[in-house]
Amino acid sequence: MHGVTGATSPVPRGLWRDIRSMLVFSAKRLLALFLTVLVGVYLTIYIANMGGQVDELRLVQIRGTVGEEVRADPAFFDLPAAERNALIEERVQLEVERLRLDQPFLLRSVDYLQQAIRLDLGRAEQMHSDSGSRQVYDIIVERLPATLLLFGTANLLVFFVSVFVALALSRRYGSPLDRAVIALAPSSAAPAWFYGIFLILIFAFLVPMLPAGGMVQVPPPEGSLAYAASVLRHMALPVLAMFLGSIFISIYSWRTFFLIHSSEDYVEMARVKGLSSGLIQRRYILRPTLSPIITSFALMLIGLWSGAIILEQVFNWPGLGTLLFQAIGHRDTPVIIGSVVIFAYLLAITVFLLDILYAVLDPRVRMEANR
Amino acid sequence: MKKLILLMLATALLAVAYLFVSDPVDRRPAGMPDAVPVDPADLAARRGALVDQIVFTQESDPGKVTGMIETGTHHVFGQGVTSVTVFNRIRDSQQAAYDMSYGFSVELTLNPAGPELADGSLNPFHVPAIREAMNWLLDRRHVAEELYGGLAVPRYLPLNTAFPDYARLADVARALELRYQYDPARAERIITREMEKLGAERRGGQWLYQGQPVRLIVLIRTEDVRQRVGDYVANRLEDLGFRVERRYRAAAEASRLWLAGDPAGGQWHLYTGGWIATTINRDQVDQFSFYYTPRGRPEPLWQAYDPAPEFDEISERLQRRDYSTWEERQQLMARALELAMEDSARIWLVDQLSVSPRSREVELAADMAGGVSGSWLWPYTIRFRDRVGGTVVFALPGLLTEPWNPVAGSNWVFDSLIMRSLNDLPLLPDPFTGLYWPQRIESALVTVQEDVPVTRTHDWLALETAPEIRVPEDAWIAWDVEKQRFLTAGEAHPQGLTARTRTRVHYEEDYLQRRWHDGSQVSLADLVLPWILSFERASEDSPLYDPSHAPSFQVFQRHFRGWRIVSRDPLIIEIYSDQVFPDAETIVAQRTPSVQPWHVLALGVRAERTGELAFSSHQADRQRVDWLSLVAGPSLRVLDRQLEQAGGQRWLPWEGTLGGLVREGEVLARYQALATWRERRGHFWVGDGPFYLHDVYPVERTVVLRRNEHFPDPSDKWLRFTRPEIPELDLDGPLVVDAGGEAEFRLEITFQGERYPPEDIDLVQYLLFDSRGNLARRGEAEPDEAGTWVVRLSGSETAALGAGANSLEVAVTTGRVALPAFASHGFATVPERRAANGGGAD
Repeated sequence: MHGVTGATSPVPRGLWRDIRSMLVFSAKRLLALFLTVLVGVYLTIYIANMGGQVDELRLVQIRGTVGEEVRADPAFFDLPAAERNALIEERVQLEVERLRLDQPFLLRSVDYLQQAIRLDLGRAEQMHSDSGSRQVYDIIVERLPATLLLFGTANLLVFFVSVFVALALSRRYGSPLDRAVIALAPSSAAPAWFYGIFLILIFAFLVPMLPAGGMVQVPPPEGSLAYAASVLRHMALPVLAMFLGSIFISIYSWRTFFLIHSSEDYVEMARVKGLSSGLIQRRYILRPTLSPIITSFALMLIGLWSGAIILEQVFNWPGLGTLLFQAIGHRDTPVIIGSVVIFAYLLAITVFLLDILYAVLDPRVRMEANR
Repeated sequence: MKKLILLMLATALLAVAYLFVSDPVDRRPAGMPDAVPVDPADLAARRGALVDQIVFTQESDPGKVTGMIETGTHHVFGQGVTSVTVFNRIRDSQQAAYDMSYGFSVELTLNPAGPELADGSLNPFHVPAIREAMNWLLDRRHVAEELYGGLAVPRYLPLNTAFPDYARLADVARALELRYQYDPARAERIITREMEKLGAERRGGQWLYQGQPVRLIVLIRTEDVRQRVGDYVANRLEDLGFRVERRYRAAAEASRLWLAGDPAGGQWHLYTGGWIATTINRDQVDQFSFYYTPRGRPEPLWQAYDPAPEFDEISERLQRRDYSTWEERQQLMARALELAMEDSARIWLVDQLSVSPRSREVELAADMAGGVSGSWLWPYTIRFRDRVGGTVVFALPGLLTEPWNPVAGSNWVFDSLIMRSLNDLPLLPDPFTGLYWPQRIESALVTVQEDVPVTRTHDWLALETAPEIRVPEDAWIAWDVEKQRFLTAGEAHPQGLTARTRTRVHYEEDYLQRRWHDGSQVSLADLVLPWILSFERASEDSPLYDPSHAPSFQVFQRHFRGWRIVSRDPLIIEIYSDQVFPDAETIVAQRTPSVQPWHVLALGVRAERTGELAFSSHQADRQRVDWLSLVAGPSLRVLDRQLEQAGGQRWLPWEGTLGGLVREGEVLARYQALATWRERRGHFWVGDGPFYLHDVYPVERTVVLRRNEHFPDPSDKWLRFTRPEIPELDLDGPLVVDAGGEAEFRLEITFQGERYPPEDIDLVQYLLFDSRGNLARRGEAEPDEAGTWVVRLSGSETAALGAGANSLEVAVTTGRVALPAFASHGFATVPERRAANGGGAD
């Protein structure tokens, strides 16, 4: 086959070689990524359960809760001690069976793993979706829109503003604005929720113009437009907090990145040739740097998945961060695994697609993979 | 390109400007009337709640409380605040007010194992005398005022200081509190003596046992002020010469050590424990068994308790209610308190105060133990001080935590808080005393066996005794799943059956004329179906069998002796039981059945039978189906289908029994009303309370209630319970008294400047302590004609005091609040002046 193709035309032979290289490369990457996901998810299961030690904690917790429930219930107030303890024991046993705590952790961990890898998210052990479903899928999907809306808006805003401002600053190296951005870059050392607290204090309490938290006013408006306007009002402070928390360092990073690329020989050559600065920017700076920009953008997009635990808590935003926080608090392993496994798959798929993209764009990558 | 960017920027700026200038919150619902200024005459004319709408929303950050109240976005916070910083802000705010509750107690749990632990080290707390000495070592006033910043009151005894038993035993409690007041020198003396007896020696200020330093591990909880309490205790023990190791742990990690671990393992010696009570416990006789004996719990710590034989016996008698008179009970309690202090397996430190914040313009009844979240009367009392109607925004740290259904749905405290406003119970507890008041019943007659000590406080019920109470043969006592009918006492017990109590309940005349929120009329089937359901869920032969229901049901069956409908119009019901509570009011409240809408439950029954939904969490997990929710989620689709089918079939569950309890055409009318309700409201929750469930927004964590305009009661029915009338005392008298001369001390009892109604004052007791701190006399003050209470000491009584500084302590208990009030007055007795003068002259 190879010989025939090679005898007829050199172009198809090159294409076939490229396809074969790509397939081999993809298979290797897929296998590596699958193993990474497998290990990552199992590590999550293991760590979330502290290697099975969480079982012990949960047992104590169940005993404590059941004991206090029975003691607080006036219906049982005159039960003889022995009968009361028997009742407690019976209830504890029911809960132990429900949570499968009577089975060894190793066995359960393998179960968790194979379900997770099959993307069968299963049932939560303690938690429910806001509307009352115990399916982990429902629990996660219900919170997803709120997270995507808030973090999508803020991150897209930060991303595009910082890229465009950085590009502009790279042309005005050393200007007062450039120096101001450099000076402000350390302000991003403080997390967004830190700014959030001050913003709430100022704009919700001192000069009460915006709500202190929540996703929509209470009760939610009935019309769609009014609802959307209310959500926008509630997004204002958290978006601003996230914006303030990362914009300067982001501009600084991109500015430095563009500055490095602006001093490449081919850019200098373009300048010497007298090309317009807009053309140089688009064709000689942006185009060659597209791969890292896309990579950064893609990773930013999948980063939305995790939300932000503290920020959501501060703004009382019903997103995935709060959900994960609650899941950890409840030690609800299926929900924790559900959140992580989806993130892991998204990350793996993104990395895989980026790898393919790089391989398509850059032959050196394919060649490297084939060695 | 630049123009486009500029245009986008301008649009964004305009949008931001709109967001900033638009009305921050407009909560007045469409179509709702404006709130009107309050006119007391109109209150009685208005039916149901005093506000038009309540919006519940989630807010878990107590730090925002004051700001939200001040900006007017929220009015009431359901979560109790224990942070001193937040409390100070609330107190200083012009717009905020608050209610106090006393439901959380802090103690030191001492490890009683030993004297040597598994590693051979010495555990001093094995010795009761050392445990007892800890009472003198720790300054509870310092803990309450400094560590808790005033948000706590000192506590010495295993009785909550805000609960009735403490008030009933106020004189005994006061005497014990004075006996065990802070005295570090005494503590050190006793501990030194006992340590030496154990074979330890103090060298260079350090306690050594077998040549090794005596090490104490203090297990310190980190989530709250108990961290500072633990440090304080550790410091005090270090001062005494112990080597102290502080182990800071959160709840779960700490529980693994103190609750689940073997105390002999030496993982801890002291633990900063805490106990919560969400309702006022009117009968604390089992506290001793629970906290000090192996009968308390099966965990290893309890099994290590070794109480003195007398203490053990009294504790057990109290737990079994093995006493025949009230006086005997009080004597046992008094002795048990003394013995508990001598045992001191726990050192009670403080009762922590929890603050329920609210706007100053809003009032509602908060429970003395559970705060707003534990209050049953809040829906009946919530109002704006200056107007009728309006919308109250209520913030809760969590809501819709689990699916809502009335059989085995969410019992989370904040979900329950909302549900309490949607249903109307036959009796409601007094938020300040825990005693029940009638809501939907007119009267009750409680009959108890002659040897059963029960008391009655209110006059809406009668109490009588009988040598024997026979259960009538026609009383229903069990349920035959196969034949779908009740079994009578005559069938189940042909030889006859007796009970310890009989409760005859007379419901209000129009009890069955009332309407559910969906407009359908209440019927007897609503009263009977919940009984059938309970029996069915406990029977293995039933398709509704739920193993998680069985254990509780078995306990119920132990004391249940049957019930019967004596009369349908007016509705009178008799319930027979062996379970006895010390208050007759509580017996009525525990025994009286209430209604639940049978047509709603019927849909759940159908869904569980077909394996689509389950009432309980456990059953849902067992069957791998959804836990039934009447308000949101995937359950609604299933219930829609069931409603359509049930309506089409005119399906009445357990028709053989319920068929005779429904009205003509009721079955179809019910399903039609429910279908309309579901269409309008979007959910299946139908109640009969002062509010109905108007809207549910699960993801937004918002629940909207609106006033039930057809509620039968006048709006001001429960307003007298808005504020706890804790008596304020002013004790006055001479500062110097001649020994042998008469003395008179006057006590003014007021509330907010007004004289406290004498008929509501149960008891004014006094304790007289001499200069050595010994109890010299106890007695009761007497009222004079002016309404002042007087303590008179005769010449012989003052002479018996001898010369020195004495203290008169007064404890006042009332029928309006469980919390007793205390006052003290110090005075000096001097030798009789005549004698002294004479002596001087000579």
